[in-house]
Amino acid sequence: MVIKFRKVSLGFLFLKTMALFVFWVLLSASFEWVHLVLGVICSLAVAWLNSGHSPFVPKLRVWLRFLFYLPWLFYKIFQSSFHLTKLILHPALPIDPKLFSVKSKLNHHAAVVLFGNSITLTPGTITAEVDRNNLIIHALDKALSEDIESKEMESKIAYIFKDETPDL
Amino acid sequence: MIMLSIIFIVAGLFFLIVAAVGVIRLPDVFSRSHAVSLTDSLGASLMLVGLALHEGLSINTLKILVVLALLYILNPVIAHATIRAALRAGVKPWEKETP
Repeated sequence: MVIKFRKVSLGFLFLKTMALFVFWVLLSASFEWVHLVLGVICSLAVAWLNSGHSPFVPKLRVWLRFLFYLPWLFYKIFQSSFHLTKLILHPALPIDPKLFSVKSKLNHHAAVVLFGNSITLTPGTITAEVDRNNLIIHALDKALSEDIESKEMESKIAYIFKDETPDL
Repeated sequence: MIMLSIIFIVAGLFFLIVAAVGVIRLPDVFSRSHAVSLTDSLGASLMLVGLALHEGLSINTLKILVVLALLYILNPVIAHATIRAALRAGVKPWEKETP
């Protein structure tokens, strides 16, 4: 039997171990030696087991633009939550559900993931299927589906990823 | 501070009740899952913010914030998985009948 060693980037392994260790300390909230050493061993093991993927590591400017995108997303979530509350509590239940597909111009897989996740996070719209950059979306109401088709969210996400090399 | 946290928790409870009413009133899987997503976007997060305010500055507040972040990452995944499974199983979405 031949044991093959995968190539693991040490810097990335270290970062992952540190992130997991911070999570460990946060949850255990104790600074005894036994717990700390056990935490290091466990987070190293988990990071090693998960080192097979070659994930997308965003650069700092992507993180910064993402942070500026978040408040807008929360505003959007609040707005459509109130819209949905109004729809549900309305005596006549004036809903008009619709399944439609959107072809986005995003050309980065992380951008498509962020787009789909933002759509699902906004109440009233859910991403049902993703195929490269075609998304099938279910919306509860005409106003909500027009919100997606107005491409406002998509252009904001395209701005976050505008300097990355396309990989889709 | 206690007053503020009570306001947040009551607002969260209101949205949780609206979501429960929505699950009962709406017609099919697809539209019901919208009502469920209202739970995690506003209901649960407002309650968690209220609890964090109630707790003040301590390790428990940090834990609550971690739960909040995980909620926002994980819930879209679950909603998407449910809806995709329904779509692939061939469930027909309910549509408003045009007169």
